Amino acid sequence: MKAFLPKDQLPLLLDALGERIEVIAPVSTDAGPAFVTWHGQPIDLKDKPLSPITEFLLPHKEALFTYIQEAGRYTFKEEEIPSRLLFGIRPCDLHAIALLDRIFGREPPDQAYFRRRRATALVVQNCTSPGKECFCAGLEAGPEAKDPCDLQLTDIGDGFLCQAETPAGILILNASRALLQPALPGHLQERTKLLQKARRAMPQDRSCSQIRQAMESADWEALGRECISCGGCSFVCPVCHCFNILDLGVPDGQRLRCRDSCMFSGFSRLTGGANPRRTQGQRLRHWYQEKFDVIPQITGLPGCVGCGRCHLTCPAAINRVDLSVASRLMDDSSEARR
Amino acid sequence: MNEYIPMQAEIVDIDIESPNTYLFTLELQDEGADFRYLPGQFVMISVFGLGECPISIASSPTRRSLQLCIRRAGRVTSGIMDCLVGDVVGIRGPYGMGFPLDRMMRDVVIAGGGSGFATLRSLINYIADRRDEFGRVAVAYGARTSQDLYFMQEYKSWQSAGMEVAVTVDIGDELWKGNVGLVTSLIDRFDLTSGSAAICGPPVMINAVAEKLMDRGFHRADIYISLERHMKCGVGKCEHCSIGPYHACQDGPVFSYDRVRDAL
Repeated sequence: MKAFLPKDQLPLLLDALGERIEVIAPVSTDAGPAFVTWHGQPIDLKDKPLSPITEFLLPHKEALFTYIQEAGRYTFKEEEIPSRLLFGIRPCDLHAIALLDRIFGREPPDQAYFRRRRATALVVQNCTSPGKECFCAGLEAGPEAKDPCDLQLTDIGDGFLCQAETPAGILILNASRALLQPALPGHLQERTKLLQKARRAMPQDRSCSQIRQAMESADWEALGRECISCGGCSFVCPVCHCFNILDLGVPDGQRLRCRDSCMFSGFSRLTGGANPRRTQGQRLRHWYQEKFDVIPQITGLPGCVGCGRCHLTCPAAINRVDLSVASRLMDDSSEARR
Repeated sequence: MNEYIPMQAEIVDIDIESPNTYLFTLELQDEGADFRYLPGQFVMISVFGLGECPISIASSPTRRSLQLCIRRAGRVTSGIMDCLVGDVVGIRGPYGMGFPLDRMMRDVVIAGGGSGFATLRSLINYIADRRDEFGRVAVAYGARTSQDLYFMQEYKSWQSAGMEVAVTVDIGDELWKGNVGLVTSLIDRFDLTSGSAAICGPPVMINAVAEKLMDRGFHRADIYISLERHMKCGVGKCEHCSIGPYHACQDGPVFSYDRVRDAL
């Protein structure tokens, strides 16, 4: 099912959806767009939020279960999972969800993840104006949605071309039928034209093989000396999924799952103090190996979606794509800015 | 089913193996719990409020009780050590790949160092109970001092099951009449020149023993080591235990030496 939604009707569509389900959408904040529960705030669909949508499937902190003690024995309770509609997610993030589905779907499937995943509807916004940091095209993750979603929207100027991909997508459109106009052949042509243009606007050389090449010649120990081990790259990466499990509360409490990062020295350290990845260089190398070697072996797909968030967020200015350090390439980068 | 919700197990017995290491016998409380394991597998044990940690199973599936040998090392293990008989702990598992028993049914060298010997006890007792399926068996075990030697009351029963058992300590004392030195020195006493091997201990010891066995004629792929790794989920998701393409929790903790030699 296809339809056209005039731009000024978007808040009304979200209103109609918000009455039925919790809608998570990118709204403008002082720190740029961020995915939050929508209550009528101004929507920002221009820039990609720095914090990826996958945090609604693998939250920074969630209770795996609650334990309740009575006479030395325990009973366990699982939290209710809210049904949510994730609106305006980017094709790169959608591709990351497809990767997480495969990673968490390996035996035994991670039910804590899939309970949230199954209660989630996905509305994707195709990228007609990718950011400077974006290179999804080289990794086949964008700028157009390629993975299963319920509904995809494309900004074609004065409105959105809406394409329902599933029965849930049709229901989403039917929730606000009066706002929609018929999709015309011209709309589809415009969509194709804009997405081709977006694809061409992205660097063509930043592919999986280019990054693998950079990995081979990288001086990991030198990069490790620049890295400040903040874990920022892991926390903004939509594919990163490392976590820790810890308890909070005695005698009753919760067993929590919290996001973690392999950039931290304690991540692989053993109780006795030995550490299989002792240096920050080894840890950086591991981060890349996971994405470009291990995840491809496990899922058949590169473990990077080309969103460029790690590159944007790195306070040590390590170029996360070509693995150079900005300070050492001062002349080149000023050249590139011109 | 939420994989992270543990079964409950009551501590029914506590044996003191060393001043900082106890052997806990556990009884699962969940009726109809399907808990079948093999030597070399591990469980995630938890004390509610302190958290979870991975512990290899020290008992053999050929015997009725489930036993874990735990050394006081961090927050969770200290919490378990403070438990009394009758207390309840959480158990998830069994997880991981144990020793490949069908490929080990020939001559076997078993070498353990320190607390790494706990997982090997499971294998030794398994072999003792199914003795005719294996060839000649030699056990080498080293600990820091004689105070740190585990399972001392069992060595005799292993010997009567026809196994060669040699024990050493790093630091001798006036009460200790046995060997002083490294586990590798014990390997020289055995005349086995081929077969399979099971090793668990500090990486330096694993490498030294494995090299010595390979010099003897053992194939790298027939030497199985049990690796210690930081683990949180036990089911291949949290990435703490990743070693290249492997997750120690699912593809291990027992690996053939040729697969993980570089990771040691």
